[in-house]
Amino acid sequence: MTRERLRNLVPILLAALAFVGLILHSTGQLQPLEGLLVRATTPLQELLSGATSQLGELAQTARDLRDLRQRNEELESENARLLLDNVRLREIQAEAALLRDLLNFKQDNPGYEVRGARVIGRVIGQDPSNLQRFVILDVGREAGLAPNMPVTTDRGLVGRVREVGTGWSRVLLIIDTTSSVNALTQSTRANGLVEGQPDGSLVMRNIPQGDVVSVGDTVFTSGLGGNFPRQLLIGQVTGVERKDFELYQTATVQPTVDFDHLEVVLIITDFEPIEGTEETDSGSGEP
Amino acid sequence: MTIYLVIPLLFVVAVLQTSLVPHFALWGVFADLPVLFVGGWGLVAGSREGALWGFIAGLVTDALSGAPFGAATFGLIAVGFLAGLAEANVSRAQFVLPLVAIFLATVVYDLTFLLIVRISGHPVVWLESLLRIILPSAALNTALAPLVYGPMRLLHNRFIREEMEF
Repeated sequence: MTRERLRNLVPILLAALAFVGLILHSTGQLQPLEGLLVRATTPLQELLSGATSQLGELAQTARDLRDLRQRNEELESENARLLLDNVRLREIQAEAALLRDLLNFKQDNPGYEVRGARVIGRVIGQDPSNLQRFVILDVGREAGLAPNMPVTTDRGLVGRVREVGTGWSRVLLIIDTTSSVNALTQSTRANGLVEGQPDGSLVMRNIPQGDVVSVGDTVFTSGLGGNFPRQLLIGQVTGVERKDFELYQTATVQPTVDFDHLEVVLIITDFEPIEGTEETDSGSGEP
Repeated sequence: MTIYLVIPLLFVVAVLQTSLVPHFALWGVFADLPVLFVGGWGLVAGSREGALWGFIAGLVTDALSGAPFGAATFGLIAVGFLAGLAEANVSRAQFVLPLVAIFLATVVYDLTFLLIVRISGHPVVWLESLLRIILPSAALNTALAPLVYGPMRLLHNRFIREEMEF
């Protein structure tokens, strides 16, 4: 018998061996050998099983985390919407009361009357410097944008268009140190100037000492100066600094917009800022 | 190193700086890649090339920045030049000097940047900017400096016989 022929017989021999094994197994005669193999492989199996289980749990945890995160986002979004609704309603209520008291004037829609025409821009870049707070949008002149147009999101004021090109525009954020916005508090109608800080926070300066400002109060654009529409949400007062020897008091304001995660913004294109009253980039900070 | 490589390289650096880097903020600040690259190249190639890199990187950065044009260019030229002054001593203080140089380069860059912003008529909050932005930023850049300085040295050794072509 040649070697070649023996090679051809190997599959048959293996099949035969398997068949014998099947018979021995069915009669229980392979049990000692099987036990030996199982004991030898158990540690490795346990290791692999444990690892797989952990990986499975990890994947499950990741899935759970994803679900929870999604749920959390939904709830946060809903919470933000409700908060905004609540704020709007309170603003409507406050304004209605004010107008009734002062002017006996009825106003049906006191909300965001200047937000008729809007352009949606996607944030495609940020300023390369730590010292400046700009974002770059993917819309520009072709979409009707022009310098000084206010930029907002559903959560509040973002800033204003600083430069416009074809297919791009640059927006100065209100948290930039060169930005200042005339603002007022919702409940007490205290006027002030909201300015950006180096760390990206906001402070409301130049609030007259006689005005009452309380923590939790909501801050809106006042429309004074004519560079921003009225009643755009800016943030919430988180602290008040009042010194008797100073003319004005200062409040720290937590912006409602999450500037670290800006993705889509709205540009108010039908609002025309009043010429010659530079509110943002004023540099003086004085009222 | 030929200028035809420097320009696209620094362009990519500036684009990364505006798109990717801000997402990795630490202590409220993010790394300054143009400063790291220009400072790193100044350290290995000397003042002349450092300043030229600073110029190119500054132009690209200014083009992408909302700051007054020139703020980044001046700052980065200063970074490249000053880092280049330390070049002769780098071999003697292999580890510490590049770190110190990058720290100081960041401070110089940011102060120059703010100075240009101020000269352009915008308000600058000097002390708070120094404490809250510039010093943390310098510390972060210093921590990242070895990641850039090492490849810069390799790159320089690769092109050591070449002079920049104008």
